[in-house]
Amino acid sequence: MKLLTHNMLTSHVKGVTKGYPLLIKATEVKVNEVDFNPKFVCRMIPKLEWSALVQAADQLGHREDLPGELVPDYEKNEDFLKKVHRVLLEVEVIEGCLQCPESGREFPISRGIPNMLLNEDEA
Amino acid sequence: MISLSFLLFVDDMAPQASGLSPPVTFIALTPCLDRSRPQTLLRMSSQAEEAAEQTSNTVEAPTSSSSTETDPTNGTIITVTVGATVPTGFEHTAAEEVKEKIGVDARVSKDRGRIYFPITTDKLFQVHLLRSVDNLFVVVAEYDHYQFKESKEETLNELQELASKLPWTSALEVWRLNRTLKKKKGHRKAGNATRAKSNAEPSEVPAAAAAAETEQQELPQVMSPDDDDAKAEVTPDSETRQQDLEDTAPEVKLIKFRVTCNRAGDKHSFSSNEAARDFGGAVQEFFQWKADMTKFDIEVLLNIHNDEVVIGIALTEESLHRRNISHFGPTTLRSTLCYGMLRLCKPQESDIILDPMCGTGAIPLEGAIEFNESFYIAGDNNDMAVNRTVNNICHIQKRRADKGSPCGLPIDTVQWDLSNLPIRTSSVDIIITDMPFGKRMGSRKKNWDLYPSCLREMARVCRPGSGKAVLLTQDKKCFAKAISRMGGLWRKLHTVWVNVGGLHAGVYLLKRTGSVFGQTPEDVHESRGRGDAQKDERDDKELC
Repeated sequence: MKLLTHNMLTSHVKGVTKGYPLLIKATEVKVNEVDFNPKFVCRMIPKLEWSALVQAADQLGHREDLPGELVPDYEKNEDFLKKVHRVLLEVEVIEGCLQCPESGREFPISRGIPNMLLNEDEA
Repeated sequence: MISLSFLLFVDDMAPQASGLSPPVTFIALTPCLDRSRPQTLLRMSSQAEEAAEQTSNTVEAPTSSSSTETDPTNGTIITVTVGATVPTGFEHTAAEEVKEKIGVDARVSKDRGRIYFPITTDKLFQVHLLRSVDNLFVVVAEYDHYQFKESKEETLNELQELASKLPWTSALEVWRLNRTLKKKKGHRKAGNATRAKSNAEPSEVPAAAAAAETEQQELPQVMSPDDDDAKAEVTPDSETRQQDLEDTAPEVKLIKFRVTCNRAGDKHSFSSNEAARDFGGAVQEFFQWKADMTKFDIEVLLNIHNDEVVIGIALTEESLHRRNISHFGPTTLRSTLCYGMLRLCKPQESDIILDPMCGTGAIPLEGAIEFNESFYIAGDNNDMAVNRTVNNICHIQKRRADKGSPCGLPIDTVQWDLSNLPIRTSSVDIIITDMPFGKRMGSRKKNWDLYPSCLREMARVCRPGSGKAVLLTQDKKCFAKAISRMGGLWRKLHTVWVNVGGLHAGVYLLKRTGSVFGQTPEDVHESRGRGDAQKDERDDKELC
């Protein structure tokens, strides 16, 4: 699971109102090489919840020097875009789990696949 | 189309006695005129055309490199017509792709899954970059209004006579050229960990290698590793055959062939088998090739649709339309169909694209390879499906890694329940999926309940105003009903009727309206069936 995907995922347990962002507990993390496309990163940033991304990167120990707030004029800052690229697409959680911040419910991640299926009583 | 002022035929003396050299050098046939021809022959690939056009070819020199014109070893450039079979319904999409990647206008055989376009031999490799075509062939001859004789016997006789009179030369030249291109690709993919090919690695057939190198120099575009990936997906059968070709120097090998006839129409006096048999017999007689149904070098195609007759030579082997998939599921879609659907929704850079019922991941994987500037999230509720999807993704990534290219693909897989997606509201740009038909998977009754809740949930996660959905389903009635109650959320833009595994299905292109989810009339009345509908909607909005 890449952090870009994590940024889109939310807990949907019944009754939960603050199910985002999910907390990550990773036991296995991998870093892959992915072609860097600055325009892709640039256009993706507005679609992200920035603080959730930083928090997730932090939880994985891969935050490095990613700023807590978006830098102004990031479109032209290739250095910054490369850091975002790395965190969004290259860092992957292979084993671990995602945790609903409100209910504490854990969703396992195995082979990079988060299992978000709910039980009958939770849906 | 160019109309010809004269026709070119092979010397019409008895084939064995004519200037026809031993089978393998059939391309050295001496052309001559034959005015006794009964049929009107249209649109042939011929050296006459080539002679006429050669000047303009060299002068016009399109954006590709000019080395082809000056390259002495490759010989003359000829123009031929190539035919392609495409998923029925996506003919125009394929024509668009041809225009985009080859720069020529294609002729569409509407709803017949065929398109035709001209190409010069120096650009032949480009046909293998097309992602919307299942199979390719070079046209030998086309007849728009073939006058079949009254009796079966006369008709079949005429077909037999036809064999020796067709302008085979250019088409065979293209076939030969194409085989060299494929061999070259075969060698490039020898870096792959496939055991069948491992002993082909170190040695290359000298003639082919020389030709391949020449071709390599003149190729104006470098084929990216991605293209190779796609073409490298060959079945064991074709791999073995490639190996056969490599083992023997092409010039002394006896050519093996078969004829495949597709016939449609209710006024024919003969069957496709009879036509294939008789035509094939005459071809064999003429060229002195050996007929072989399974291990053939040349596949001659005889396509008869009412009074349209097209004779061609195949440029692709049969099973290339599942190019990305190594782990199949029960309903895996052809990659060409996936490509057609993706093209329909025009993925933009940085689009977030969801397939909430991904099965083996065919659609998002094709997207991650071909429209790789977007990001794909593939999901399914089924254990086997998500595992197969990940297997398929890994397979492609490993192939890339083996070639030393960055292997990461812009795709992730999640296990989820489609009617309750764990995805933020309004965060997805495109939803693209193959909805359960109820025939091969699921059931009609289940669809009745499933479709409306699917469409609602998809509307929730899809970005209002700019979002789109491309949905394939065979259950048109159920879909139409579900959609009719969602006018506030979805608007139908376009429908493409396709054929999927013999079933007539629709690909629906929908636009997400600008309405915020939870505020359209249908939302006020519809409930999720559980809990407080309005509270649910408020919760959704909080997640925005």
